[in-house]
Amino acid sequence: MAAVVECEHVTKRYGDLVAVDDVGFRVEEGEVFGLVGPNGAGKTTLIEMLESLRTPDSGSIRVLGLDPAKEAQELKERIGVQLQTTSIQPNIKVREAVRLFASLYRRPLSNPEGLLKTLSLEDKQNSRFRKLSGGQKQRVAIALALVSDPQVLFFDEVTTGLDPQARRTMWGLVKDVASRGKTVFLTTHYMEEAEHLCDRVAVIDHGKFIALDTPQNLVRSLRGGSKVLFQVEGREIAPSEFEKLPAVSRAEKVEGGFALFTADGDRTLQELVRLADREGFRLAGIRTESPNLDDVFLTLTGRELRE
Amino acid sequence: MKGLFELAWNEFKLNLRDPLMVFWSLAFPALWMAFSVVIFSQPIPGSGYEGLNYASFLLPGSIGLVILSASFIGAPLTLTNYRENGVLRRLRVTPVKIATLVFSFSISQFAFVVVGILILFAVGKAFLDVQVLGSWVAFSGVTVLGMVAFFAIGSAVGSIARSFRSANIIIWSMYMPMIMLSEFFLPIAILPAWLQPIARALPLTPVNTLLRDIVYGVPLHDLWRLGILGGWTVVASIITVRFFRWE
Repeated sequence: MAAVVECEHVTKRYGDLVAVDDVGFRVEEGEVFGLVGPNGAGKTTLIEMLESLRTPDSGSIRVLGLDPAKEAQELKERIGVQLQTTSIQPNIKVREAVRLFASLYRRPLSNPEGLLKTLSLEDKQNSRFRKLSGGQKQRVAIALALVSDPQVLFFDEVTTGLDPQARRTMWGLVKDVASRGKTVFLTTHYMEEAEHLCDRVAVIDHGKFIALDTPQNLVRSLRGGSKVLFQVEGREIAPSEFEKLPAVSRAEKVEGGFALFTADGDRTLQELVRLADREGFRLAGIRTESPNLDDVFLTLTGRELRE
Repeated sequence: MKGLFELAWNEFKLNLRDPLMVFWSLAFPALWMAFSVVIFSQPIPGSGYEGLNYASFLLPGSIGLVILSASFIGAPLTLTNYRENGVLRRLRVTPVKIATLVFSFSISQFAFVVVGILILFAVGKAFLDVQVLGSWVAFSGVTVLGMVAFFAIGSAVGSIARSFRSANIIIWSMYMPMIMLSEFFLPIAILPAWLQPIARALPLTPVNTLLRDIVYGVPLHDLWRLGILGGWTVVASIITVRFFRWE
């Protein structure tokens, strides 16, 4: 199967700054591919090279088999783009914008105004763009990206600046787009967003890919694994007792109970219950904490993602 | 040219929603003509035009004002504004071509100028008894050439100016001299001798003088003036093509 996006040794410099540094990857058809990294990591530079807004200094890029630098015109007919800061004519009405953008493509959706319903913009269709809320503006941006019925969509920080509820709505919309078989390439600096939406995630830092895998594998690759938290009732017990349990690397007394660091949370849990039976104490408030992509980023770079 | 008509129609509607455009190119020229009639009541001596009322004398300048205002507020401020706000950037990731975009702006602006001129005629006919003695074909022809030249100049300003603010400064520094020197109401003949060639070289002067000749039914012997207009159109178009920036 042909890759929808294919990059080899792509590099982009701005003066002394290497914004994108020898990056290579493939995005397969139907995939939701996420590019995660802190601000200034090179996410936007990379996505804009795929959209033909910037040209790489070296390396090769193919999107839908086309070279964005040389075959931009044909490529633009077939991709849908949401830019990091979407701005359209401030006084244009939502319905007018959707119609206008549809008119710019050779093969637009037969009923572009149907998107207003899909994106819950029906009661805003006669509002001017500048009067919309941030979440509504982003939904218009998604509508404009979809009017051409593109094979692949590029979303650059589609939820940045949105409140949690609008972000959830946006996630639903992205999932909906993906479920219709479209390939999605998105950037974000929210790990939970990448975890929630993406089939595969590339972690980018200082222009380089430092990891590329499914969110599950990235989390699994973390040494230390998960944490089991619980309280003990009916008996005093020393933390060292728990360190004898299989897979447990460390046990600590924490506020309100114990924390076991384990490479295998499930097994530790089973053995813990057996131990409690044997020793005659009761367990309460058991919960496990799995590492998430934020921990992955912290482990890979030694820095918090949002610092 | 995909989307040309839709872009033009949208831009026309957006112009109608823009108070600056509506005031300066639709309302102001008619107001200027009416106030001038009330205040001066007759041409300044030395203009060389006789036989019609003062409103008819002012009509060509008022049309020039519609063209000037629509072109100087329309293309340059719209282009710089769209560039600063990323509208052009968003359009750039669609298949639309620069030529289509610029052409659509020109169509919408021409339509706007036509509306402005119709308003002038409506006001002029209804209240001021304006008359045009010469040929309507020649009148329309000069108007269209003026619109083309000024659209080109406006686009050139919009392409060179780095920001909305600097576009504004460039525009007003061109606007004021033309009001004073392009025969709106002051005849070039009464200007100091050294200033007269400069006044004649301004792009609005040929539009105003030729239209005035047509209004008074004077034979058009100064058609070389169209060369000045053509020169401005060519230079401005080259500047636009050379300096147009999406971002």
